[in-house]
Amino acid sequence: MKNKTIAIYSGEIPSTTFIERLIVGLAVTDTTIYLFGKQKKRIFYPKNVQLFTYSSKLSKLIVLLKYSLLLIIFKPKEKNKLDLIIAAQKGNQNVKRLKYYPVLYHKPDVFHLQWAKGTEDWLWVKDFGIKFILSLRGTHISISPIADLFLKRMYETSFHKVDGFHAVSKAILEEAKKYETNLKNTSVIYSGLELEKLVFKTKTNINSTLNIVSIGRSHWLKGYSYALDAFSILKQENFNFHYTIIGIDNDEELIFQRNQLDLDELVTFQKNIAFQKVMEQIYDADIILLPSIEEGIANVVLEAMALGTLVVSTDCGGMTEIVKNGKNGFIIPVRDSKSITDIVKKISSLSLENYNEITSRARIAVENQHSKDRMISDFESFYDKVNNSNKTE
Amino acid sequence: MRIGIVLPSVPSYSETFFSSKIKGLHASGFEVFLFVNNFSQTTTLNCKTITAPKFSKNKMKNTFIGAFYLLKTVLFYYKKTQNLYRLDKKDGLSFSKRIKSIIINSHIVSQKLDWLHFGFGTMAIGRENTAEAIGAKMAVSFRGFDHYVYPIKHKDCYKLLFSKKVKYHVLSNGMKNDLIIKTILNEKIIKITPAINVQLFTSHSAFENKNNFLTVARLHWIKGLDYTLEALSILHKKGINFTYTIIGDGNEKERLQFLVHQLGLNDVVYFLGKLEHEQVKKELAKATYYLQYSLQEGFCNAVLEAQAMGKICIVSDADGLKENVIDNKTGIVVPKRNPEALAAEIIEAINLQEFEKERLTNNAIERINSIFTIDNQVKQFIDFYKN
Repeated sequence: MKNKTIAIYSGEIPSTTFIERLIVGLAVTDTTIYLFGKQKKRIFYPKNVQLFTYSSKLSKLIVLLKYSLLLIIFKPKEKNKLDLIIAAQKGNQNVKRLKYYPVLYHKPDVFHLQWAKGTEDWLWVKDFGIKFILSLRGTHISISPIADLFLKRMYETSFHKVDGFHAVSKAILEEAKKYETNLKNTSVIYSGLELEKLVFKTKTNINSTLNIVSIGRSHWLKGYSYALDAFSILKQENFNFHYTIIGIDNDEELIFQRNQLDLDELVTFQKNIAFQKVMEQIYDADIILLPSIEEGIANVVLEAMALGTLVVSTDCGGMTEIVKNGKNGFIIPVRDSKSITDIVKKISSLSLENYNEITSRARIAVENQHSKDRMISDFESFYDKVNNSNKTE
Repeated sequence: MRIGIVLPSVPSYSETFFSSKIKGLHASGFEVFLFVNNFSQTTTLNCKTITAPKFSKNKMKNTFIGAFYLLKTVLFYYKKTQNLYRLDKKDGLSFSKRIKSIIINSHIVSQKLDWLHFGFGTMAIGRENTAEAIGAKMAVSFRGFDHYVYPIKHKDCYKLLFSKKVKYHVLSNGMKNDLIIKTILNEKIIKITPAINVQLFTSHSAFENKNNFLTVARLHWIKGLDYTLEALSILHKKGINFTYTIIGDGNEKERLQFLVHQLGLNDVVYFLGKLEHEQVKKELAKATYYLQYSLQEGFCNAVLEAQAMGKICIVSDADGLKENVIDNKTGIVVPKRNPEALAAEIIEAINLQEFEKERLTNNAIERINSIFTIDNQVKQFIDFYKN
């Protein structure tokens, strides 16, 4: 395989767990990775990851001047062409120059945009022979275009120009097809975990006070209010439990709800902590609950499945692509508190043997579908496929 | 009599309880001063508006701003400043907090007042000694969020306030009882419910029996719109035809629109955004049912207006709402956070005989017109300050 250059662009460095995992994963191949955008903090990457970033106001100015000069000297015609494109776009032109010039100067073979809202802005790379790939992930696909009609229209008019689509789940690929039925070069590539670091442990007992844990940032999409309503019902039924949400700091709505439902003693909200500690809490938990309204494929569920704790997930996004109801975890409908109470009660009555059978199958499912090696080889062939598909236009 | 009212900002059009009260007091010969943090809106109110010291994000700049107000207050209002400093010291405030107190109260200290009335409980935090320092009586209103939500996150935030000589104004009996539990004396707590302009909110058309539901509310989690929509989706699944209109804007718009999408209610739910008073009235006129399934509500003016307009009001039992609507007499009250219960009550309401529906709306109109008028409210406030 020819050594290719790929720009993985999310706008910010470091980016989300998924994206960082992809960058580090690809770095072990002979691919050269370019990272453009704003550097939020210093981070060390393997040497074939090259950073062309800016951070402070001063560094922005330096980067802008440096690349303006480099382009004037070495690629004056292309600079003029890009300047015309920038002039036709909305928004601050200097900000665009700062973002676009380094990309034009270094010209990767593939520009891989991580967030769909930037699609229209970045389509220009195609005019310079760069392949344009878009990742279908997160609320940019699943939520935002439903409430934002301008965004919907933008997706409808620009998706057919994209050279290739990486989808984090089959479900999100189907969602994207609502905006363009004939998406070119699509590939569902599941997120890969470093499974050797996630040691599977079988349970030796199920806690008599059932320990249920949810993990995730404080956002309505996570559906925590449905979980609290469910635990209020369980409390009324004198069911023995403790529920912890990790990742919630100071969410007024949930603090109010917990107080109103008189759950202060039974429900703990805990600030986000280092993953090592989260891992301990996953081991200690009897159930990892994902009450989400919408997800791609939630990382925390994959991790819990790898570690040996039983997962309960709502039937949202791509969750059923990994969690098979009754086999390697449990699936419940979205926005349904009653189902949460029912499943929690059901799990509390599982035998230890039964519990461990389910979690063992969960580990195998994650190993098969979400290994890092598989993700990397899938991405390599995906990039090759898109790179070699240029003759169509 | 000179009354100073402390508010976050000049009342906007939606905060009718403030504007109607201020207008009424002025008409009765009171001189009203408004102390606000932000003075961005233009006002037609007959009162003098005084803005609190404005601070910037720049710490350096703030030192100068603080020093300026401190110096000004000490120079021109020495006696009152000294009082404030001493009282704060007596309460055990640190030196820096005492200085800060002089600065943040400098705009109030500059005025001569008979009453200093904090429009929300939260506005009185850090100003517990201001009234006494300037020789005014102190009044505090509790309205909802400040009473039911803020103290959950900020435990003991009113501890100092409750130790002071204060006359409290609350919106409901529920709030009054809560304060009594906090050892406030019964006679120090006066319930004055909100009021509406009953001339403006009257129904001119006959009762129309249609399945049109309406809510006027900020798109905020506290309004329970998610539970409302889930209840309506139960109706939808049962094949009951209806429309639901939501008037209001807010940061939960995407959340609610996604909910509507996920519940498959796109064709029957309409988000109209924020509307002017007159347009709200027009939309109210078109609706048969008004829903207010909030998780928390001090009292809720919108429900008063809907009742005055002859709508069948179906509300949650959150706090002041159950005093706002008398269950089965002037409307229907449903336990909060329970979409199934709400759906069941809505279906029951739909199935009522027309004369039963009219009985509810007539009772509501009569009750609103006799109790919740601005005249009544102003009278009660005059008593509040005079006695």
